[in-house]
Amino acid sequence: MSPEDFDRLQSLMASRAGFRLTRDRMKLAEHRLGPVARREGFETVDAMLASLWAKPVAGLGWSVIEALLNPESWFRRDRPTFETFGQELLPALCRAREGQPVRIWSAGCSTGQEVWSVAIAALETGAAVEIVATDLSQRALEKARTGAYTGFEIQRGLKAETMLRWFDQTEDAWIARAELRATVHFARANLLDPPADDTRFDVIFCRNVLNDMDPVRRGQVLENLERRLVDDGCLFLGPDEQIEGDSIAFRAVAGRRGLFVKSPSALRRAA
Amino acid sequence: MTPRTCLIVDDSRIIRKVARRIVEGLGFEVDEAADGSEALAFCASLMPEVILLDWSMPVMDGLTFLRRLRTLPGGAGPKVLFCTIETRAERIAEALSAGADDYVMKPFDGEILTSKFAEVGAV
Repeated sequence: MSPEDFDRLQSLMASRAGFRLTRDRMKLAEHRLGPVARREGFETVDAMLASLWAKPVAGLGWSVIEALLNPESWFRRDRPTFETFGQELLPALCRAREGQPVRIWSAGCSTGQEVWSVAIAALETGAAVEIVATDLSQRALEKARTGAYTGFEIQRGLKAETMLRWFDQTEDAWIARAELRATVHFARANLLDPPADDTRFDVIFCRNVLNDMDPVRRGQVLENLERRLVDDGCLFLGPDEQIEGDSIAFRAVAGRRGLFVKSPSALRRAA
Repeated sequence: MTPRTCLIVDDSRIIRKVARRIVEGLGFEVDEAADGSEALAFCASLMPEVILLDWSMPVMDGLTFLRRLRTLPGGAGPKVLFCTIETRAERIAEALSAGADDYVMKPFDGEILTSKFAEVGAV
């Protein structure tokens, strides 16, 4: 891959996905694009990129973008987040919603581990929930939708007891049970796009997405999340993600790393 | 502060070596045993805080060891994580009902083992 190709990939990722493809990921990009080139019928990555630059961004462009996103995910990643959610937030929200299901959005759900962790926490609390899970990557979503994980994937973050309770074993995979799947609706969505309807959520999980984003796009994404969140709702980011410089829509909750609520200014604007 | 202790019980020297490196990385002092009976003798004199336990081993297997361990004085204390190539759901359930705190299916890596230690509250 030539430096020019990498520059163009960088701007493709930034403009379409808001993703910051840093220069240290050049080798990784080449490695990830190999299978895409083979799948799409090109001899080499270079040949694929040449064809990509010659045409407007369409199916091939999105296949390339998907392959360069960061899909890393595991069950109950950042465990305190799930403890706060399951033990504090969810019981309080259930009381406040008086029997109406609590609406949850997993924004950037990748291969689904976060969604199932959320669904397990909800069902183990006895809370009625409706979960929407979205990702930019069609391939990640397909995997999430199957709810099927290898032995290697399933045990990263899940206790054996939880695994046995919520997943069925097949010959080569562990598959999320129907009860879990019934709580989740999957859809493809780009977090750069403003909301096209009035759907709002009580809790939004958007963890470890902003850290990989182009700084100039982070504010836009946070703005979109704010519009999707009810005024007394909560937003979970990754425990190390800071947004002070990006948006005034949210403020951090003291003592709960990664937890944010709407700031007073966001509430006033909504009123 | 005394370091926390972990006993690795596996008949494979390679597995013991790999697991030792990971567990030491979590700040544990590690001892090794090559089968259940060796492990039982070790525990009778010095009870570790965590035990990483293979299932199929010569002399005494992991499940037999676990059942005997839990009857020893102080034997309810250690967090026991099975760590084995046995991956059938019913065998995993059997191990848990015999008193295992968690279960690691081989192959595993540092991230899996670390997350398991965290889930049972060992780190």
